[in-house]
Amino acid sequence: MKKSSIILIAIIAVAIAMILVIYTDSSTYSTFTEAKEKKTELYVVGQLNKDKVLHYDPKTDANKFSFFMYDNEGTECEVVFRGAKPQDIERSEQIVLTGKMDGNVFRASKILMKCPSKYNDKSVVTEINATAFNN
Amino acid sequence: MDVNYVGEHLLPGQIGQFFIVLSFGAALLSCIAYFFATKNPEETSWKKIARIGFWINAVSVVAIGATLFYIIYNHLFEYNYAWAHSSKTLPTYYIISSFWEGQEGSFWLWMFWQTVLGAILLFKAKSWETSVMTFVMLCQAFLASMIVGVEIFGLRIGSSPFILLRDAMDIPILKQANYLSLITDGNGLNPLLQNYWMVIHPPTLFLGFASMIVPFAYATGALWTKRYKEWISAALPWALFAVMILGAGIIMGSFWAYEALNFGGFWAWDPVENASIIPWFTLIAAVHVMIAYKNSGHSYFTATFLAMISFVLVIYASYLTRSGVLGETSVHSFTDLGMSGQLILFNVAFLVIMVVFLVVKKKEMPITEKDEEIYSREFWMFIGALVLTVACAQIIASTSIPVFNKIFGTKVAPPLEPIQHYNKWQSGFAVIVMIMTGFTQFLKYKRSDSRKFLASTVASLAVAIILTAIISYFTKTYTNLIYILITFASIFCILANIRVLGDAVKGKWKLAGSSVAHIGFGLLLIGAMVAAATNEVISVNNTGYIAVSGFDKVEKPGENLFLTEGEPVQMGEYKITYIGDSIAAPNTYYKIKYERIDEETGKVKEEFVLQPFAQNNAKMGGLIGTPATKHYITHDVYTLITAAAAESQAQHSKTANEEKTGFEDYEEPATYQVNIGDTLRYRNGYYVIEGLNKEAQLEKIPKGPNDVMVGLKIKVVAADNKQYEVQPIYLIKDGGIYDFNKDVTDQGLKFRFTGIKPDKDKLEIMVYQKPLPEKKWVVFKAIKFPYINFFWCGTIIMTIGFIMSIVRRNKEEKRKLAK
Repeated sequence: MKKSSIILIAIIAVAIAMILVIYTDSSTYSTFTEAKEKKTELYVVGQLNKDKVLHYDPKTDANKFSFFMYDNEGTECEVVFRGAKPQDIERSEQIVLTGKMDGNVFRASKILMKCPSKYNDKSVVTEINATAFNN
Repeated sequence: MDVNYVGEHLLPGQIGQFFIVLSFGAALLSCIAYFFATKNPEETSWKKIARIGFWINAVSVVAIGATLFYIIYNHLFEYNYAWAHSSKTLPTYYIISSFWEGQEGSFWLWMFWQTVLGAILLFKAKSWETSVMTFVMLCQAFLASMIVGVEIFGLRIGSSPFILLRDAMDIPILKQANYLSLITDGNGLNPLLQNYWMVIHPPTLFLGFASMIVPFAYATGALWTKRYKEWISAALPWALFAVMILGAGIIMGSFWAYEALNFGGFWAWDPVENASIIPWFTLIAAVHVMIAYKNSGHSYFTATFLAMISFVLVIYASYLTRSGVLGETSVHSFTDLGMSGQLILFNVAFLVIMVVFLVVKKKEMPITEKDEEIYSREFWMFIGALVLTVACAQIIASTSIPVFNKIFGTKVAPPLEPIQHYNKWQSGFAVIVMIMTGFTQFLKYKRSDSRKFLASTVASLAVAIILTAIISYFTKTYTNLIYILITFASIFCILANIRVLGDAVKGKWKLAGSSVAHIGFGLLLIGAMVAAATNEVISVNNTGYIAVSGFDKVEKPGENLFLTEGEPVQMGEYKITYIGDSIAAPNTYYKIKYERIDEETGKVKEEFVLQPFAQNNAKMGGLIGTPATKHYITHDVYTLITAAAAESQAQHSKTANEEKTGFEDYEEPATYQVNIGDTLRYRNGYYVIEGLNKEAQLEKIPKGPNDVMVGLKIKVVAADNKQYEVQPIYLIKDGGIYDFNKDVTDQGLKFRFTGIKPDKDKLEIMVYQKPLPEKKWVVFKAIKFPYINFFWCGTIIMTIGFIMSIVRRNKEEKRKLAK
């Protein structure tokens, strides 16, 4: 066999192994209940509880924003985000959080929200990153 | 029901639509005619028809563009495209950007470039014209079908930019005859796209995408017409051109992200970014293997495969960004137009062409049975290309997670930390590729002297180690092994290529292009690594964080800093002050003054004002900040507004409008027992109890003989030395006790005189304070990006290298044809 063929096979093997590893790096969309059990960093999809107060007071702490959110199973949980309040989160119809549970509070490192566009039925996705959460 | 709509301009749309259909028909005709012209080269009439088809298509494409521009420029909001992507306030140069904000416009842009490239091929490709143009025109027909916007058998094909607003949207208002008078302005351009890079970045990127059809068409045409060996040198200048333009386009996009987006960086591994870098990687690999084949006769199949797959991946990239499949994983993909089926068909068509030709012609390919020498350049170019392809496969696999979910019905979420995820893989690949790019420079084609090779490699390695130590020390990247390795690999690659360049100066100019491009890429990589690894947030908020002790202890201090107008804050070496703002609709510019003060003398060493701006845009969901950056040679200071005062004020006023008692605007009152002569503080100054006024009078309430009516004289002195006199009144009338409060409106104070306590010899007052009139404030973030100029510099050098290579390969091909 030619050297290049051997190397080609080796590299294909590496590539397949790599793709398998990538999937161990991937995550799942989860719920608050699961987050409580696992205690690891994960995604939670849900909706903002619009009846409760969104708390952001930049004068005392410009890096703390908290709110309540329902996950897709209807479980409610308080979410604390270390960063500025994403503008227009009140209008969001869906929120995807990245973060982990800490006691009864979900600490979000990233907020991805889907807002209904004002002018048409297409949704706009916005992403907001928390600051220095994991570093 | 027919309605006579008032004020519509239907003619431009009809003209535009006509040309779309014409362009589709002409492209298809030209493709078919080129197909038969290739099959029957003797019959010149096929070629004639094909060329006529091409030119009709070219004229149509230009006409579509001109009509669309006319519609947007004249604000004809009866057209959905103009309404959705532009507004009257948009400056002319951004009208150009709004042109390609939508999918339809960007498809047009692709078609336009393909037309330009087609015209060049028509004149320059000579014997290759018919076979190459068959595929170019096939692609052109596919693209035209994307904007044709007609329904056939209930199936909507494409989405036309000339669709009317009232047809695009099912809203009753739009069914009124005079609906146009109700639409005063368009939706406007996404503020993130209102940036000069957005005028130039999309055309460059799409020229890059469009030009990748040429190597594909040459490779396929070669397999089809059995001109196996010739295509490589003919397509090489085109492949280099595509790599150069696409690379420049991608990096312009990253400059745009750095200048205009608020994620604080120049590369985020967003699926949209990945989609454009994937074909770039494979085509770079293709270029290297093509050159290796040209010089050694090895790796024909790989060269052909890579050139072909690159274009298939271009189509895959447009499927990713345009079909809506990325959904929640990407922030800036196009909105879904429901064309995913059509895009898949486009993808599958070219994939099938590739696979069929590669499989059917495999046996006839000029594949050598000879084994490669290990000490040969072609061998390592081949290996390098494979590593690049594997690196590319990693990006494809991770980016395609939503696609796999769609195919297999799974619900796998992409990696939580995409930047770390991709960096982890790609930095490893980068090290391998750069080291290979380095030592391969010392190898010759076919066979080289291993002793010479080892000598020069070791010498360069030694110098590279020293330089790496120095650079790691100065850029403070020595803490992380992978950073050191990237620096080392890049430096080694740069050094090896400088040696080649040194030979070039002695006369071997031929190899100069590639070494310049390699040096550029090495610099780019170092710049990107250092800037990404060592960028630091300098607006670290330590205050207010300690105050909530216990609760927040698990977290790091935040990165957003709160600034009140006129109140300086020390931030690292800078004293920063929010000195005000100015409004240039629709943007608000916040002026942030930076001062560097010499600690000993107190003199201001340096002073500059950054003006990041923000646009409160309902379309994009609120306040969109655009950073401002101070550029130095060694680093950048990047400043972004993340929240501003106007927002919170609007919320305050909302709650106050319910029941009015006169006190709800005030905070909880404080009650004091005071004596005459006492001085008390309040938030913005102090007040003095000056004395009692027994002669106090009240309008409307006459003082009865047994009544007590006493005023309390209070002098308020504000922080700015303004003085106010007030006199709240205490009244006992007919046995009942009353008091009459008095306001100091300017200071947001209200005084009540609520009691006289003779037993204690005290007077009782209640003081109400309004929350201080809100000062203007901003919350902002500042990041320092060190050595980012390497990144931009490397890009420019790399592009120059590509231009040199294109010139050289083009000359070679011409010389060959002349023989």
